[in-house]
Amino acid sequence: MKTNTKILASEFEYLECPTLAEALNCLSKYNGKAKILAGGTDLLIKMKSGLLQCQYLIFVKKIEALNYLISDKKTLRIGPMISLRSIEKNEQVKAYYSALFEAVRSMAATSVKNMATIGGNLCNGSPAADTAPPLLVYGATLKLSSIRGDRIVPVEEFFVGPSQTVLESDELLTEICLPDLGDQIGSSFLKLGRVSADIAKINVAVCLNRTGKSVGNCRIAFGSVAPTPIRIPEAEEILKGQEMSDELIVKAAKAAAGLIKPITDKRSTNSYRQQVSKVILEEGIRSAWQRAGGEL
Amino acid sequence: METSVVGKGLPKFDAYTKAKGTIAYADDFSLPGMLYAKVLRSKYPAAMIISINTARAKSLPGVHAVMTGKDVPHNNLRAKFGQSTDIGPNFEGLYRVLAEEKVRFLGEAIALVAADSEKIAEEALALIDVIYEQLPGVFDPIEALKQDAYLVGDNDTNLVSQFKIRQGDVETAFKSADVIVENTYSVPFKDHAFLEPESGVAWVDENGIITIRVCTQVIEHFRTVAEVLGIPHNHVRVIGTWVGGGFGGKEDITVESFLALLTWKTKRPVKLTYTREESFLAHSKRHPFVMKYKTGATKDGLLVALETELIADSGAYTYLSPWVLLYATVNAAGPYNIPNVKVDTVAVLTNNPFSSAYRGFGAVQPNFAYESQMDELARILDLDPLTIRLKNCLQQGDTLTTGADFGGSVAVREVAEKAWQALGPKRADPGKHIKLGRGLAVGMMSYGRLTFLHDTSRSYIKLELDGSVLMRSGIPDLGAGQAQALVQIAAEELGVPLEKIKIFTSDTSLTPLAGTSTATRQLYMSGNATLKAAREVKERLINKASVMLKADKTDLKFENEKIIRISEPDKYLALSTVIGQCSTDGDELYSEAQFNAPFTEVPVSDVITGQTFADFTFGAYAVEVAIDEETGEVNVERAVTCYDVGKAINPLNVEGQLEGGGVDSIGYALTENFVVEQGYLKSHSLAEYLLPTALDVPDIETILVESGAGIGPYGAKGIGEPACNAMAPAIINAIRDAVGVRITSLPATPEKILFAMLSRIK
Ligand SMILES: Cc1cc2nc3c(=O)[nH]c(=O)nc-3n(C[C@H](O)[C@H](O)[C@H](O)COP(=O)(O)OP(=O)(O)OC[C@H]3O[C@@H](n4cnc5c(N)ncnc54)[C@H](O)[C@@H]3O)c2cc1C
Repeated sequence: MKTNTKILASEFEYLECPTLAEALNCLSKYNGKAKILAGGTDLLIKMKSGLLQCQYLIFVKKIEALNYLISDKKTLRIGPMISLRSIEKNEQVKAYYSALFEAVRSMAATSVKNMATIGGNLCNGSPAADTAPPLLVYGATLKLSSIRGDRIVPVEEFFVGPSQTVLESDELLTEICLPDLGDQIGSSFLKLGRVSADIAKINVAVCLNRTGKSVGNCRIAFGSVAPTPIRIPEAEEILKGQEMSDELIVKAAKAAAGLIKPITDKRSTNSYRQQVSKVILEEGIRSAWQRAGGEL
Repeated sequence: METSVVGKGLPKFDAYTKAKGTIAYADDFSLPGMLYAKVLRSKYPAAMIISINTARAKSLPGVHAVMTGKDVPHNNLRAKFGQSTDIGPNFEGLYRVLAEEKVRFLGEAIALVAADSEKIAEEALALIDVIYEQLPGVFDPIEALKQDAYLVGDNDTNLVSQFKIRQGDVETAFKSADVIVENTYSVPFKDHAFLEPESGVAWVDENGIITIRVCTQVIEHFRTVAEVLGIPHNHVRVIGTWVGGGFGGKEDITVESFLALLTWKTKRPVKLTYTREESFLAHSKRHPFVMKYKTGATKDGLLVALETELIADSGAYTYLSPWVLLYATVNAAGPYNIPNVKVDTVAVLTNNPFSSAYRGFGAVQPNFAYESQMDELARILDLDPLTIRLKNCLQQGDTLTTGADFGGSVAVREVAEKAWQALGPKRADPGKHIKLGRGLAVGMMSYGRLTFLHDTSRSYIKLELDGSVLMRSGIPDLGAGQAQALVQIAAEELGVPLEKIKIFTSDTSLTPLAGTSTATRQLYMSGNATLKAAREVKERLINKASVMLKADKTDLKFENEKIIRISEPDKYLALSTVIGQCSTDGDELYSEAQFNAPFTEVPVSDVITGQTFADFTFGAYAVEVAIDEETGEVNVERAVTCYDVGKAINPLNVEGQLEGGGVDSIGYALTENFVVEQGYLKSHSLAEYLLPTALDVPDIETILVESGAGIGPYGAKGIGEPACNAMAPAIINAIRDAVGVRITSLPATPEKILFAMLSRIK
């Protein structure tokens, strides 16, 4: 058992990088020995309990150039240093990106959300990260930068396992990009916790397009049911191109529940997760459909 | 009786400084040259310490002391846990400062370090080499009672205590019963999770007195600390700070002995503050209980017999287990008239965290069980929850199962009716998979200590020449307004505004000892002592004023800092004028008064009979819950509570106590699960141990009944601990009402509820 001692157990050097260039240089210089500090709401907890050590801590939250949210009607670009609270308060997000809005709204308490960043939520690599399922269903891409250059990675390929991502040790997440989602879209996010503002026992996001009475494109993603947040393509296929109905929703949700293999941990049990995955997915599909202007 | 200050919901005098964050809690205080302490804790729940080598730690630069059990002058005490009366061996237990030989629980303190910084102290901990031999241990109280069980301590049994109640003949009575309900209930450990973890600073003053400034519910532990060091009692001084929550978790010694030892050894001031995780490891828990209940009734719904067996897990040390068990025993039948009762209770040592005081002190666990039983009986007999309670509840003039009389007022009927009726007409279910349900529960609990503990409290009031008032009381204020209540009483009696009264609290050398802030005793005990002291000084002022005004003593009243002739209100003297005259004449301008609770003898047999408590508080909770049938999630939509508080000295604070007790019990019922597996903690931080947040609790509606029949000042009863009764079973009964499943083990998680519903459908 790890004990949180109030004290950061290991010695490290603290570096503040006010520009992206400096941050990337530092990361390259101390390659492998440095950790990035954004809001610190995940990192510091791990450092206090001795789960994580590093020789250098690079504080990047002050890089103004990475703190933005720009939407041009069709796409949305998010700077990773933006606080969860700023995302929650953004009118554009609230109006058009319901799943992301609902995810951020469900997270932590205001004080934590003022500190925490969306970049940190992703790079921390938790299977329960609440912003991951929305970004998965929006088909978001991530820009990973280093002095070697930039690369673009779909969110789907970003997560590798618990606390593991494809980020190289000299790379920084520098942008989250949501593509054009097309017309008549609706999205939703649902989560079950133990108390309000808790880490998810299970969460789910749905995003779909409506063409008349039928489902056009559709994505479904769960968190906290596998080593990483995951999409369920089989369930998506059941919905795609089909005329929407209650039976169809039940069929897709049932299929999804049969495909996930959650574990039992401190927050819940595998059988409960399996059981309620159906329930929240049904609900998620319904509200996404309604938001896309569909009727049931 | 007309009152002008008492009975008013005035803000606590400490509220503003607390809201501004300027109060110096225990950890907010430092001294020049201060060292920082850390505690080395056992890695195993059951082990033999083969050796401890402190050489490497001692040689670390910046380390000033490393101490183990060998360095403690009196490491093993037969403790009375803060008592000043002789209570006999059945209510004492071993207090071991640092583990020696056998380690009994995970996190047991083994060694202490004092160093120039917390960081160095922590590094030193890592340099202490302890060689353990792991032992099997025993983690289940039922296993621990078996013949050849692993022995937790050094005795030849793990049994801590056992009690019985025998009334009538249950065997025959069950034969005559039309319905019998039998269930086994269980409740887990509960952590106090106070906002402020254990903390203190100790130093040796210029006279060689070991002084400890600490957050505690019991400053009287100075005596035990002195005995640990082997020095006279008056060489240890404990200064209690404002406490950031106690709930029983700061009733036993926490950091005091460690601080005293380190400051005594180093002659330097020393600070020790636990982290949240360490706090979880270090302090006591509420006792888990397994409770078998068999309740019989006639077809008209009259209770005829109750047979119950309660098993309490004491964890690794005795502490207050015998007392908690006695409370559970006396409260096992609840506030009901049952002609035939058989109660058997045991408390057992295990290698789990040790259990001791937790707000509710043994009354809360059986409350969950007997109120669940009543609900089941009502369902079988097709009675509503109120009717079955009204048919059976105690009334004025009834006796306890021990044969003792209830004094004061027994308002079970009234509180149950008022709480239940306040819920109003039922609403329709809001959505197709959301089901509403309602539940009712009543509860009883004593206030004031066990009468054989011969409790006393003292309070001091002094008049200043300018008419202001100075008070001294040893009372620890836990945040519940303990000090405020005393000030309101003095203000009432002396006709002085609150702002003109200053109270100095919680100092074993300078304030009269008021006893512990535990057992819901302070308003009752110290309130009475304060009332007595105030009336003594008042009497002197009246005597003086009657001479000065040439008025009869009965013709005088105290109001607005004046002593006024009732018959001729334009004839009056300023209070300060009368005080001035007393001073000139050499009259005493102060009083220190002592209040004694009723005394009884220590029980000699394990069959409990007669009086063990001075009086009881009765209350009820009625709740409405909404349950999502598809996920098992519960939301407490409404909660109404009604308690007979005798007299609300400060209604605002009484409501605060009721709301706090309610919220605490929502956690007990639904979310708080202190998981211990084979002695290892699985919920060692607030990320695993889930307290309800502001978003998880409804507004709690409070209804105060003021019977005026309590034995506290102005007829007040105690409310702090009784407030933790009834909410948890009311919620569980409401879940039963909503979705038809009976949850018999707490907490009622969505997982439990959902699968109970699914298996019922199958
Ligand atoms: C009380 C509390 C409640 C919480 N509730 C929730 C909740 O409901 N849902 C939820 O999902 N999470 C929750 N969290 C977790 C946490 O707040 C979030 O994951 C948050 O978004 C992390 O962001 P941060 O800026 O604080 O990250 P940090 O702690 O600073 O960083 C997290 C990790 O990401 C790395 N990192 C950060 N930024 C970058 C970057 N741009 N490029 C590369 N690596 C980077 C860091 O090195 C570190 O490994 C909670 C935490 C607390 C303390």
